[in-house]
Amino acid sequence: MDYCAGTPWRRANVINGGLRLMAGPVVSAAMKPHDAASEPAVADRRGQIVLEDISRVFAADVVAVDRINLVIHPGEFFTLLGPSGCGKTTLLRMIAGFETPDSGRILVSGREMQAVPAHRRPVNTVFQSYALFPHLTVAENIAFGLRMRGVAKAERRERTRRIMELLQIDAFANRNPAQLSGGQRQRVALARALVNEPEVVLLDEPLSALDAKLRAELQVELMRMQKRLGMTFIFVTHDQHEALVMSDRIGVMQRGRLLQVGPVLDVYERPSSVFVAEFLGLSNIWPVTALPGGLIDTPLGPLAIGNPDPASGTAMIRPEKIWMYSESGAPTGRPNMVAGVVREAIYMGASTQYRVELENGAPLLVYDTNNQAAERSWRPGEAVTCELKPENIVLIGS
Amino acid sequence: MAISMGKSTRRSLLAMSLPVYLLLYAPLLLIAIFSFAPPPLAKGQTFYWYADLLHSPEVIAAFRRSLTLAIGSSILGTALGTLMGFGLYRYRDRNATGIASALPSLIIYTPIIMPSLVFGISELIFFSFIHSATGFLAAGLLTMGIAHVTFEAPFVALVVFARLSGLDPNMFEASHDLYADARQSFLHLTVPVIRPAIIGGFLLAFTLSIDDFTISFFTAGPGSTTLPIYIYSAVARKGVSPDINALATLMIATVIGTGLLQYMFTRNRARKLVARPGD
Amino acid sequence: MSATTADARRGSAARAERLGRALRLWVTAGPGLTWIVLFLVLPSAILLGIGFFTSGSYGGPELPLTLQPLREVAGYSILGWSSGNITVLVRSLIQAMSAGVLTVLFAYPVVFYIVTRPPAARPLLLLFIVLPSWTNQVVRTYAWMELLGPESALSHLVQSLGLLQPHLGLFPGVLAMQIGLTYNYLPYMVVPLYAAAEKLDWALVEAGRDLYASGPRLFWNTVFPQTLPGLLSGIILVVIPAFGDYVVPTLLGGGKSMMIGSLIASQFLETPNWPYGAALTIFMLVFTCAGLLAFRVLSKRLGGAEESMM
Repeated sequence: MDYCAGTPWRRANVINGGLRLMAGPVVSAAMKPHDAASEPAVADRRGQIVLEDISRVFAADVVAVDRINLVIHPGEFFTLLGPSGCGKTTLLRMIAGFETPDSGRILVSGREMQAVPAHRRPVNTVFQSYALFPHLTVAENIAFGLRMRGVAKAERRERTRRIMELLQIDAFANRNPAQLSGGQRQRVALARALVNEPEVVLLDEPLSALDAKLRAELQVELMRMQKRLGMTFIFVTHDQHEALVMSDRIGVMQRGRLLQVGPVLDVYERPSSVFVAEFLGLSNIWPVTALPGGLIDTPLGPLAIGNPDPASGTAMIRPEKIWMYSESGAPTGRPNMVAGVVREAIYMGASTQYRVELENGAPLLVYDTNNQAAERSWRPGEAVTCELKPENIVLIGS
Repeated sequence: MAISMGKSTRRSLLAMSLPVYLLLYAPLLLIAIFSFAPPPLAKGQTFYWYADLLHSPEVIAAFRRSLTLAIGSSILGTALGTLMGFGLYRYRDRNATGIASALPSLIIYTPIIMPSLVFGISELIFFSFIHSATGFLAAGLLTMGIAHVTFEAPFVALVVFARLSGLDPNMFEASHDLYADARQSFLHLTVPVIRPAIIGGFLLAFTLSIDDFTISFFTAGPGSTTLPIYIYSAVARKGVSPDINALATLMIATVIGTGLLQYMFTRNRARKLVARPGD
Repeated sequence: MSATTADARRGSAARAERLGRALRLWVTAGPGLTWIVLFLVLPSAILLGIGFFTSGSYGGPELPLTLQPLREVAGYSILGWSSGNITVLVRSLIQAMSAGVLTVLFAYPVVFYIVTRPPAARPLLLLFIVLPSWTNQVVRTYAWMELLGPESALSHLVQSLGLLQPHLGLFPGVLAMQIGLTYNYLPYMVVPLYAAAEKLDWALVEAGRDLYASGPRLFWNTVFPQTLPGLLSGIILVVIPAFGDYVVPTLLGGGKSMMIGSLIASQFLETPNWPYGAALTIFMLVFTCAGLLAFRVLSKRLGGAEESMM
């Protein structure tokens, strides 16, 4: 992946901004540099987002976004995941145009957009608080963007009708947003964005205000809708479960930096850092030293690992990847079999989370599906044997 | 709210409150009663003084002037105040510290907290200086109007600001996101949304102007008597008199009537706007 | 990130943004703010400034600059020191503060009466308290002229008790002023007190029933502290305007019992002496600000004590 070095756009941006404010519209129109927004999208890059060396620093030296480089492919469902304050929302707002980066370039569908004001970007946002217009009906809210762009009344009406049907809110067309429930408002916010057929849709934690069941339903619905419409979705959330369910690719952020970007499976199974590993789900993580013969020394004792020439560092195994057997029923002749006693069993319906204490006192977190009758699962105090298959042990950062 | 009170407590509260209500309205009632007093050399209750009012050119003129002043100043005061309230909400730099950022708020609050006497006297000397220096702005309706606008605009600004503060701040970004530039956002989002506040602010400004005495008194000139000034002058000269009683009764009745009407109106509107979360 | 690159990164875009914002602020709020500065801030400054000039032949301000007007306020004049002004000041203070006390005494029962009514009735009951304050100040004060005049029943009563000369009324006089002030400003005490009383936590009162046997003690220890914020706002809304009131002392006070408001006004209307009037105004404002500040300090301390009382 190869970008040209950052262009000296900063000065141009300041001059341009200043001119637009102080000079009249005529003067600024005459002196307007080539406006990226009015170009057609580069053919096969419609819906692509490229972020080049993007940074944003707030007053008091708070670094919100720290030199982010990222490419989001056309038509993919990309999630920015991270804890509160990691800069994911700021990054989203910079793509939308509500904030200006202090440095770097933003390309939407191949066109430079970091200097283009928000109302001229082919990008629409679904806000966390929905931000519906209280003085307009649902239908008028949805049609707002079309109206601002001068779309004819008949076409506005048709497109609004279609999107309302798609999102099953056509019954509320003439209601006022105040009269709707949270889930309905969320759909209106979504419809208001989608009806404009933008190149990219930005979603800022849109489901966070909903209850768990509704959230789960809408997650699946959003995912299906994205696939159906084929628009690029950039989704921001701090909920790792949500990210896993919906996304094609995830970008994990922490303190303004992108720690890891990749398909969901890759980021989950092969995290590049301890933070990513722990943020995306539970795990057993140990500092390890390499031993000869493809082994690593862990608090559980020496373990075989899939890699024949491991390095020292940190290793991880996900709890669901550990197999549990009763003391007597464990298979023999396999590597990485450790014995221990169940200290805690937390029943979670479909699975149970066990805390197992090994002979040498080291703890192990294990997930097991409850695919047997309840009487056959393990109870605290029982002796068990755990199998850590070598291919499931991952060296973090490899 | 469960308040368990003894019956005696309840009764003593009522016993203490009733006199207050009565005392509040007794003086006003008395004026009304005395306004029906007979003219000299006649007997019985009459509407004489009310008829006299309607034929008095000074009263009619004073009334018209109050109205003109109120409407004129409210229009300008509402315009200035709306822009102030909007500007302060939308473009305030939330991260800035120091005097410069607090200055606009300070300026807006000055007319509100300044005692009307000081306000009025300041205007008096200011306008008289300007008049003696340039010959413009003789004391009169214009100077009164300027003073009225000055104390109305901050109230309107506060009303508009309060309304805006209750809204989702993302809304303005949403309109930009949906392809509206600054002008379109203002026209299609800001104005419709704050329209109730603008109307409320206008009514508030109007009320403040019609009711004002002290500031008007000090900025008035000969021939620019408003209704409160007319009453004051008459009272200061002659003291209590039946024709003033009639005028005062009319004013009191108008206020009470408007107050009750407004109360019933807002109660009705509140009932109609009760949200019905959907199916 | 090195310091220089950090500085370069922060900055031009953010600064352009801030400049744009400031510009738009001044375009929208500018006209109104300029108007207020031009037509109020400036005139007030001029007024205060006049207090340092000499009084000219027609009462207007003339050079040289002097502290003479301020000295006159303190009571010093060609005839030596006189206590007239101090009397007026003290009288205004006493009138304002006792108006404050009286409104509190009247407001508490009313507020708690309203608060114990069903919620549907409360707005209407509150409206009835507030309505008289919507009538014109002059009309309201005039009403008491009617009631307290020499021919009125009340005055006759007091005359028959021997407390008043015949043919004299309760107005003009100090008592009339007090009544007028209390009447005018009662609603301004009721409203904030009611706002505080509405938010009262009655659970605390219930809990206090175990601790405090008698009704009055229960009230003082559980209910009263919770109303303190409203009480304090009310006091500010009543005492400060009452101190500087013009209409009530002029109409009900008469020439003999002036308050500072009528004294100041007479320097600009009847016998002009602008510098003296301006000096009096400075005095009044200083007093008001000092009072406000002292009050804030006191209320902060009381507000903190409120928690420890519970």
